[in-house]
Amino acid sequence: MNQAVISCLHANLPAVEAVLKDIELQGITNITCLGDLVGYGPQPNEVIELIKEKKIATCQGCWDEDVVDGLDACDCSYPSQIAERRGHFAHQWTTEKLTKENKDFLANLPYSIRKDKCLFVHGSPNSQHEYLLPDMDAFAALERVENAKAEILFCGHTHQPYIRELANGSIAVKVKNSGSKDIQKKEMNLPMRRIVNAGSVGEPRHGGTKATYVVYNDITDDVKIREVEYDIELTCKAIINAGLPPIFAWRLKNGFEFAERAEDASHVCER
Amino acid sequence: MIERWALISGLKGDLDTYELIQKDLKKTPGNITLFVLGDMIGPEKNCNKLLHRLINPKSNDLQPWCIYGWWEEQILLESGYRGNQRAEALRINKGEEVVKSLINAVDKSFLDWIAALQFGFVELDCGLIHGSSKDVGDDLTLDTPPLTLLDRLTRLQVNRLFTARSTQQFHLELTEGILNSEVHDLTGNHKKEQKVPQKAVIGVGAGKNYTLYDVGTDNTQFVRAGYQSEKKKNGFGLHF
Ligand SMILES: [Zn+2]
Ligand SMILES: [Zn+2]
Repeated sequence: MNQAVISCLHANLPAVEAVLKDIELQGITNITCLGDLVGYGPQPNEVIELIKEKKIATCQGCWDEDVVDGLDACDCSYPSQIAERRGHFAHQWTTEKLTKENKDFLANLPYSIRKDKCLFVHGSPNSQHEYLLPDMDAFAALERVENAKAEILFCGHTHQPYIRELANGSIAVKVKNSGSKDIQKKEMNLPMRRIVNAGSVGEPRHGGTKATYVVYNDITDDVKIREVEYDIELTCKAIINAGLPPIFAWRLKNGFEFAERAEDASHVCER
Repeated sequence: MIERWALISGLKGDLDTYELIQKDLKKTPGNITLFVLGDMIGPEKNCNKLLHRLINPKSNDLQPWCIYGWWEEQILLESGYRGNQRAEALRINKGEEVVKSLINAVDKSFLDWIAALQFGFVELDCGLIHGSSKDVGDDLTLDTPPLTLLDRLTRLQVNRLFTARSTQQFHLELTEGILNSEVHDLTGNHKKEQKVPQKAVIGVGAGKNYTLYDVGTDNTQFVRAGYQSEKKKNGFGLHF
């Protein structure tokens, strides 16, 4: 059966509505959301209420956590100081706008959702703030899935959708200096695992302007990345009217803003 | 002169063992650097004399380079050095008595020194740490999945990781590794084969059991304090 996985809605209501419509048109009713309902965008309460109304299973994103618990993002989250300042401003704006009820909703979201062999998280099984980028060290990426005892790990947070298959792996080890005369050697085969990044509905950073999400078929194990057009102008106007930094509108309209890309793709966030 | 590291941990206030190790090291050939990988303190013994000695080495002592360990983390937690957190894991696992014993074993005047200790050292391409860069309590052993060991090495971006938390002595080499990665995104398919260069994780032991590392040859020697002087004839390099 097909199921949809969405992430990083970022208070962009027109994008969320367009994606939910696209999902509905395919007859998909099973939807999982990987968090970041709020942040950057102008309609945090509206997006949360829509998710609540549709009863979409959701895990807590980095923004959802920070809006409730205070800023926890390590410096790696921001590529420059100006980006960090803008981020902090959006954080404060969102905190002020959210109703108490919606803050409570975000506070009570689970870190992860497990369904059979699939694990759904926002950043990584370690933290909502860790980026699993597509070119992350392959062994470290495999470790994240294996340690979480999953076969397919669904994540978001990078805003770049991808499907990564890690296969045909092996590690050979040798025990040195064990005291026994024979050198102990072992070779282990590593299991095949996949990481699926659902991209971003409300704040795409994949180079285009369309909202992205993924459709997973749990029978064939097939994953497809979907791109959906939405009324960008509407969101941009709402960003300006809300007094949020105009660059948030600019980058939605123009697609990828290169300056906002995390600089070190191999960085392993310790949080 | 041969460059050697002596790696010790888990003294838990035992000044006698520390003195025995200092005595050993004086007889060990080479230019030796002494690293103390945490757990200088513990709940079993009064630790003040050992701490005083580590901070103020005797004139003929090898200078100890210390980092903090799991027990140091517990006392810092309990003493309010980590915000509102307390040593709850210790309290739940070992009980209130042990928490009290730990607090009583260390004079408050040492806490600032403990709090200023580093989490780990990176020397050459080696990481020296109590547990791992993931967690001070990370218990790495010979039985830890190699994928996990590789992850801990990657996090520190080192080729060798010296760890102490498990108290075990071992030298595990990751001699070879290969993994195929295929990424499908909106721009197409990207295939890559990743290989691991040779890497190693070394458990340095605890208390009387410590490790000598020969930087030039990448060889370890597992030593028991006092053992060399007892078996003088066999000299340096006995595997324990
Ligand atoms: Zn996000
Ligand atoms: Zn995020």
